[in-house]
Amino acid sequence: MKQKIMPLITIIALFLLGIFMPVILKQYHLNMLTEIIIFALFAVSYNLLLGYAGLLSFGHAMFFGLSAFVTAIAIIHIPGLSLWNVILIGVGAAVIVGFIIGGLLLRHKGSYFALLTLAFNALFYAIATKWHSVTGGDDGLSITRPGLDLGFTSIPLDSLTNFYYLTLVIMGAAIVFCWYFTHTAMGKTVLLMRENEERMKFLGFNTNISRLILFTFTGALAGLAGVFYTLHFQFVSISAISPDMTTAVLLMVFVGGTKKFWGPLLGVFVYIILQNYLSNITDRWPLVIGVIFVLMVLYVPGGLSDVIMNVWQRFFEKKDNNGGKSATAEEV
Amino acid sequence: MSDYLHIQNIHKDFSGLKVLTGVEFKVTEKERHAVIGPNGAGKTTLLNIISGKFKPSSGAILFKGKDISGKPPNVLNHYGLARSFQITNVFQELSVFYNVLAGVRSHHGLRYNFFKMPDHDRNICEKVESILEDVGLVDVKDQPASSLSYGQQRALEIAITLSTDPELILLDEPTAGMTREETNQAIQMIDKVTAGHTLIIIEHDMEVVFSLANIISVLHYGTILVSDTPEKIRNDQRVKDAYLGEG
Amino acid sequence: MSDIPVFFLHGLAYAGLLFLVSAGLTLIFGMMNVLNFAHAAMYMLGAYLSYTIIMQLTGQFWMALILCPLILFVIGALIERFLLRRVHKYGHLGELLLTFGLAYIVTELVKWYWGNYPLAVNITGFLSGTITIFGFIYPIYRIFIFLCAVLVGGVMALILYKTRLGIILRASVNDSEMTNTLGVNVPLVLMGVFAFGTALSGFAGVIAGPLLSTFPGMAQEILIDAFVVIVVGGFGSLGGAIVASLLIGQLQSFGVLLIPKLSVALVYLLMAIVLVVKPSGLFGEEQ
Repeated sequence: MKQKIMPLITIIALFLLGIFMPVILKQYHLNMLTEIIIFALFAVSYNLLLGYAGLLSFGHAMFFGLSAFVTAIAIIHIPGLSLWNVILIGVGAAVIVGFIIGGLLLRHKGSYFALLTLAFNALFYAIATKWHSVTGGDDGLSITRPGLDLGFTSIPLDSLTNFYYLTLVIMGAAIVFCWYFTHTAMGKTVLLMRENEERMKFLGFNTNISRLILFTFTGALAGLAGVFYTLHFQFVSISAISPDMTTAVLLMVFVGGTKKFWGPLLGVFVYIILQNYLSNITDRWPLVIGVIFVLMVLYVPGGLSDVIMNVWQRFFEKKDNNGGKSATAEEV
Repeated sequence: MSDYLHIQNIHKDFSGLKVLTGVEFKVTEKERHAVIGPNGAGKTTLLNIISGKFKPSSGAILFKGKDISGKPPNVLNHYGLARSFQITNVFQELSVFYNVLAGVRSHHGLRYNFFKMPDHDRNICEKVESILEDVGLVDVKDQPASSLSYGQQRALEIAITLSTDPELILLDEPTAGMTREETNQAIQMIDKVTAGHTLIIIEHDMEVVFSLANIISVLHYGTILVSDTPEKIRNDQRVKDAYLGEG
Repeated sequence: MSDIPVFFLHGLAYAGLLFLVSAGLTLIFGMMNVLNFAHAAMYMLGAYLSYTIIMQLTGQFWMALILCPLILFVIGALIERFLLRRVHKYGHLGELLLTFGLAYIVTELVKWYWGNYPLAVNITGFLSGTITIFGFIYPIYRIFIFLCAVLVGGVMALILYKTRLGIILRASVNDSEMTNTLGVNVPLVLMGVFAFGTALSGFAGVIAGPLLSTFPGMAQEILIDAFVVIVVGGFGSLGGAIVASLLIGQLQSFGVLLIPKLSVALVYLLMAIVLVVKPSGLFGEEQ
């Protein structure tokens, strides 16, 4: 029973905490928190691929960036477009692209998958860079956030606080759904495929289709994060779709740890704060983070969440009641 | 007029190496059919072809009159075929319960659902429990598969095979590596859980074959030497030659 | 359209460079089953080292051509021995992440030491000259690149298929445990393979310097094309790498001539077609 109530309490507590943040935090930090929440969804969606399905994608930024650009382009070219339609168009673009590219990658896993996703990400980056008339190329695109139309009333979103609340609700809901997803039939199917794909085929599962569905689904979630990225900064540039953005999300997820659902959330938090702190004191912060990453691959492949869990088990769970640590992505 | 299962002139080459050279036999519904043969006769290759792991180089497999050769395993599973593996092929990190749950929910159509939690479905959980009861693993249902004894892992292998409620069950050396006592228990268990199903069993151990099968096919150098009842097989000179010839 | 022979030669030169980069990548992948994301970064390191050796220290292109691969050979051996071998137990994911992290670090270090701007490597003497070919005046250096690729490809094929070393290499791949018991030091062989592959990327870097100039984005640029070569040719296939390099070299060259804005898309189109028609690549074995 405790197992089922704990996550719920955590979720409610985090939301309540989130609601009070605009009162506590200064504008600068609220800005950072909004960014963290947006990247949290991006990272959680990435971990559904890496941690749950065991698929290392180097192309997750193509969804994030694509939706970010589509959002900006839609707002600029379609006057009076409502916020809901902006989100719909932005996510829709990611779904379509995810489905097409996922179809091409259907049969590939492991190194092939890593390589091909990187190649496709590079294609999107090249298009964004060269198609200057639409994407603004190196200059990027600036937009103004449309207001939020709730039918009975409309809320202007030009203030950061209002936009923060919208971000909290929508990103939060999406993250909670991801957590729920890991417990559903499809979520379990993905996990079991990583464990033993051959057996899954013999149990009647079409594993290629499962991978396609997962790829499209995580692409859509990354796309949703991308839409909010553009809305937040009211600007988008090619950095949103560059392979460096994929690197960033990989680092966030890996630092936090792929074995736990909350690992990436922790990772985003640490990464963005570290980035802000380090970039103030040194120009070489990418180098620092690169070294940290390699050291973690060598010595702490489970990430921070794994370290925390080990410490927790050592001090609070003296008796070893589940026959050793579970190596799966999440207790099943 | 059509047979339940008709293995029709199956050939299989692996880059020039001819493993099966025209395998032909029939299985009637509810039959317990054993395929025996010396090592290297191509038994496991044959099973891999029937179960969809490999495509035959030529030939056909008619299941209720329909050619199913070359169809992928997941489609064959939907037709009602299931197989076990000679080398235990379970989900090692998962508990016994969740190992069996995967197939049961697949059979109930809960494969790709984004909203339903399969372990909250009463029917599915009860079905898992009843399978575990049948194979004698209820007591260890919450343990990870990796912590089971060898005999229990083999039982789990059978449980997973049964989990999609198949009508045609293919077992690949279910007692391989077991002690005599474990084998006897396994025979009883298999006999019980496969009652009322059609069974094809690939076996090396003659005791298992003669206590479970009512028809035996002898595979020798890639073709079926003879298909007959156990009594006739026991006294068949060609079979004796084939086995003695192998030394 | 009368320049077609010139574009053909351009295509050959680029194919030569692409082959030099992808040969090391495909060798490491074929022998060790490791997709080395750091390969292109090593190529960039080779190019920058050659800048220092040629433009700042010796003034000799030949010195760079000898020294850079040697330096990278050592670096490759160290990486294999002290880093890659450690993560082997975590499987593919660990190896991919490690080489990816190394790529990141090497790129950052190069930017730190040499700066974040293009550096020109100038060659002098015979190689900087031109010859007349098909009635066109054509730079000797580009032909030199192609010849280097032919030489490297030929030597690799000879070693792999005609020597005792080749037999040991292929045996180590097929059954490392068995080869180990037969008295071959498999870990040493694998270290050698990785070091040689890395040295090859350094060699390609030296070659690329005078052709493309050295800049921090050069790794990213070649990496994608090299990946496409591997996907199109088939993972781990030397023959596939040769054919695919020639194909993509020409595609790039004529793409610029025919549809300058979309030339990059042509390469991807080829890759997509191969993925749909023969996912294992032109020369790859079906799994």
